[in-house]
Amino acid sequence: MERPIAYDKLAREDRFVRMRTRDVGTLKIEQGLPPFPDLATRESMRDRVHGILVGELQAMEGAGRTVYDFPEAPWEFTVDMARQVWDESRHVETYLGLLDHLGGRVGEFPETTLLWRCACAEDAAARVAGVNRGLEGLACDVFNQLIHIAKKIDDPVLERSVDYVLADEITHVRMGSRWLNELTRGDPERRRRAIEFQDSIDDRFNLGGQRRDGHHDDVPISIAKDARRLAGFTEEEIQRLVKSTQRSQVY
Amino acid sequence: MRVLGGWIALTPELPAKLLFGRHVWDCAQHADLWGRRLPELRALGQQSEPAGPAVVRLLDLIETAEAAGRTVERITAIYRVLKPHLATVYERHLAVANPVYEPPTRRILARAIVEERRHAAAGAIVLERLIAADRTLADRADTWERRVLDALAAARGVTGDVETPLVTPPGTPPDPVEVAGDLVPAPPPFDPAAALGELAAPLDAHRRALERGDTEALRTTLAPEAGPDVASAYAGLPGPFARTEVVGCARIGRQRVVKLWLDNPRGRVVLQERWLPSAAGWRIVAVEVTRAEPGP
Repeated sequence: MERPIAYDKLAREDRFVRMRTRDVGTLKIEQGLPPFPDLATRESMRDRVHGILVGELQAMEGAGRTVYDFPEAPWEFTVDMARQVWDESRHVETYLGLLDHLGGRVGEFPETTLLWRCACAEDAAARVAGVNRGLEGLACDVFNQLIHIAKKIDDPVLERSVDYVLADEITHVRMGSRWLNELTRGDPERRRRAIEFQDSIDDRFNLGGQRRDGHHDDVPISIAKDARRLAGFTEEEIQRLVKSTQRSQVY
Repeated sequence: MRVLGGWIALTPELPAKLLFGRHVWDCAQHADLWGRRLPELRALGQQSEPAGPAVVRLLDLIETAEAAGRTVERITAIYRVLKPHLATVYERHLAVANPVYEPPTRRILARAIVEERRHAAAGAIVLERLIAADRTLADRADTWERRVLDALAAARGVTGDVETPLVTPPGTPPDPVEVAGDLVPAPPPFDPAAALGELAAPLDAHRRALERGDTEALRTTLAPEAGPDVASAYAGLPGPFARTEVVGCARIGRQRVVKLWLDNPRGRVVLQERWLPSAAGWRIVAVEVTRAEPGP
């Protein structure tokens, strides 16, 4: 089997419509919609949950590729990535159920592949930095907000389901924190490149500028500082992320 | 474990993709348990090597099923051959493992047997559902199973010394409730009528125009803001088409992105069109050929 594979080899049932993240955002803005679903309507909630569903699929696929692509990596790293595959497969099941719960269907919204592209990084350290710490860290922020909104609209199914998934995501970020350190031990240049990759993700994928520092009631998506601390982020890293959200690009 | 992990991204069908996703962790735990047991038996921990070059050839053969459209071969190799074979080998080992000296090994074997048999049963269900949707796949599965079994026989099993038969059925079938736990219920199939809504009628007329290769009729469905490249894309299609089918429809606000299969004896073109509502009705503003496959 090819190792690694080109990102355009990601296989999907034809019910999925794949588009570029930027194109989807532009088309929404042209129609007066926020580029990232704001959860203000039922359709917007379905859009968000569908986006998370395909993100979980891509996370499962990415972790699966990491199990295959790095046979020389430490065995414990491979075991952690295999565990993540299983977790993500259960998250897919959870979000399939939540999509149904909200009256949606698989393929109802376009699939963008930003997570998958990050998962195709050629260096294992960059993958865990970018996917586990960057994107799964971002997932912590998004899930935290979803739980907050579920409580507000009194939807215990949504609230509890996402809360269980959030616990796993914190574990995955923690794995990323561990393996970023271990894989780059004694190789500062490799570590610098991996962290740079993660920072580029934090800078670029800022949920339409909605992710901010502040309480849920004050900002659209609050940075989940407690979850990030649990996951091994340092105070310095959290502050750097807060600063990056103040100067992010749109998407 | 590694092969299943690598295949997840390459496998389009959700039930198969999620089946592999479910089992990678179990396989990792089996490998980990064996790897931890090795130093207790005066070997190096977490290190393994194939029993011989024929075992390498067997696994290389299994991995060749990485091309698009080979999901049936992937499931067949792992779930009809390799996992039942592993369970067979483990059962024979367990039968002779000393209950006084070897409980650590026996515990690992007992767990691995149950899980490998359960995996095989879950894989059989997913494979049967795929085959039920297209009976030609059954022949492909049988052919591939024979080929992988031949390679397994040439290797004399994964350890290089397994007596025939290399695959035996389980003494007691796995608990169906446990097997069901390995399967993620598939979402309902795509329903074009429900997904398209008021776009269904105009799209029906559009499909008929595509089937006829009627470029003039196609032109009338284009929005004024559609660029010349859109008309050119339709003019460049290798029509007419014997059959068209709507296979996907996504919404972006008021707009819809529709995915179509266009089939003729030369092959299949997969088209993605963006439609927007206007005072004149639904119109196409963008189109993209996302895939072109040659015919059988």
